[in-house]
Amino acid sequence: MLEFLIENNVVCRAVEAMVFASIACSILGVIISRMNLSSIGFTMSHAAFAGAAIGMYLETSAQIAAIFFSMAVAALIGPVSDKAKMAADATLGVLFAMSMAVAIFLISYLQNMGRGLSAGSLLFGNVVSLYREEIYALLLVSAITVIFVLAFYKEISSIMFNMKIAEASGIRVKVVYYILLFIIALSVSLTLNIVGGLLIFVLIVTPASIASQFCFNVKSMFMAAPLVAISVSAFGVWAGFKYTLPIPPLVALLLTGVFAISVILSFKRRINYKKY
Amino acid sequence: MGIIELNDIYTAYEGGDKPVIRGLSLCVDPGEYVVIGGPNSAGKTTLLESINGLIKITHGSAMVCGLDLRRHGNAVRKKVGYVVQNFYFDPFTPFTVEEVVLMGRYGRLGLLKRPSKEDFEAASKAIQLVGIEDLAHKTIGTLSGGQQQKAMIAHNIAKEPEVMMLDEPFSNLDFHAREYLQGIFKQVVRSGTPILMVSHAFDGLPDIRIHLVVMNKGRIIYDRECDSKDVESIIRKECAVNEDARISH
Ligand SMILES: Nc1ncnc2c1ncn2[C@@H]1O[C@H](COP(=O)(O)OP(=O)(O)O)[C@@H](O)[C@H]1O
Ligand SMILES: [Mg+2]
Repeated sequence: MLEFLIENNVVCRAVEAMVFASIACSILGVIISRMNLSSIGFTMSHAAFAGAAIGMYLETSAQIAAIFFSMAVAALIGPVSDKAKMAADATLGVLFAMSMAVAIFLISYLQNMGRGLSAGSLLFGNVVSLYREEIYALLLVSAITVIFVLAFYKEISSIMFNMKIAEASGIRVKVVYYILLFIIALSVSLTLNIVGGLLIFVLIVTPASIASQFCFNVKSMFMAAPLVAISVSAFGVWAGFKYTLPIPPLVALLLTGVFAISVILSFKRRINYKKY
Repeated sequence: MGIIELNDIYTAYEGGDKPVIRGLSLCVDPGEYVVIGGPNSAGKTTLLESINGLIKITHGSAMVCGLDLRRHGNAVRKKVGYVVQNFYFDPFTPFTVEEVVLMGRYGRLGLLKRPSKEDFEAASKAIQLVGIEDLAHKTIGTLSGGQQQKAMIAHNIAKEPEVMMLDEPFSNLDFHAREYLQGIFKQVVRSGTPILMVSHAFDGLPDIRIHLVVMNKGRIIYDRECDSKDVESIIRKECAVNEDARISH
């Protein structure tokens, strides 16, 4: 899609992948961090990781297995946590630990069988050898995310403000919440083999945290978070190819650096000492 | 026919060992100003949240705004305003007062509909009515407790509900603000919308007939019309009598 800008096919696909993954993850990240759902994002990304390992073990598509497994976990999280009870946190912990156990179990097993090499990309990501279909899938999921936020903006913003007040005002909180969980599951499982299970969380949480340092308004957060994510990850891909550095961890470090700078520069921490 | 008709309802919290509302019946007519009093943990908040279906009724029948509450909870919530008792908006909440007040319209709009000119007008009218124009563009989390309470009242006025429920809306407000808001509530009641108000502050009650409901331990122990100036003394007396009854057992 960006061939007209970037000549090298490999670099071009890497940029496209990172850009689309950034859009989906950072927009969801704005919702996730506002609603204190970080642990859900965390659990879901490891569920996708476990799903992918299952896919490899079964010698089917790792991505499709990741989608199925994380959807299943989303379906489990929903009923438990939609009431925001104490127990939700423990359930997430159990699901997270279970996912990691499944993933590590299968990856070690596959390694013992001499089939372990391909698991590396699940952990650390791989932006170098991407198929065209994977790019299209990422484009689709970032489009779904954008459409979800635009179409349900009323509902999403009310829920981000306050779940209980949203429900009292007659919004179908649960419906929106469940759709949100499934879109998170979908995005996470499609982004998994690009940035890797260990770093995917960076794309979700960090851009939203950077945006929240400067934005007082939810609309500007929805704009700023993807902009930051896109520019940092595109720069990361370029720098990674130029200096032969591993791209996903580079992007993660760059985002963390931007976050650190934004905390220091944040408007919100500035105190006005002027006397009137 | 009443706009709220509760018949022998029971409400229990998940995990609670016994129902919090136990065999309660109540009828509210259009244009009534209902004051709900009673000691802490009598079940006042639970009663309000049963009326708009935030908490499920486990037994009994309830009609609200002509709808069967047990089947149409969400439709009822679109028609019932509810100012919640406990809320906390952290300073980084990314919404202005104006946006929060407009959110009062969102439920009634339904999925996929965008707020229209009419919705924006209703929101700015509510902001004017409550007298918080100067706060409209402020972030809600940076306001004082009383200012936030006013914003939540405006949120519910913008909703143009068929029933207005308020749970201790005066807890953070000075007497001037209380009297001012009571004036607004008087207008709301005059226009035919009943108000259900849980409160412990009765100084500014409007000079109209009050439908007084006193609750204790999940039941209604007093349910009659009275004069607004007698509200406090009746609640005191009812609660004291009840306390005696408990001690003598
Ligand atoms: N979420 C909850 N879970 C379990 N019990 C609750 C919950 N909320 C309130 N209760 C119990 O219900 C009773 C009534 O509470 P509430 O309706 O808040 O009283 P009031 O508003 O009259 O002070 C109290 O005994 C309280 O402990
Ligand atoms: Mg209460």
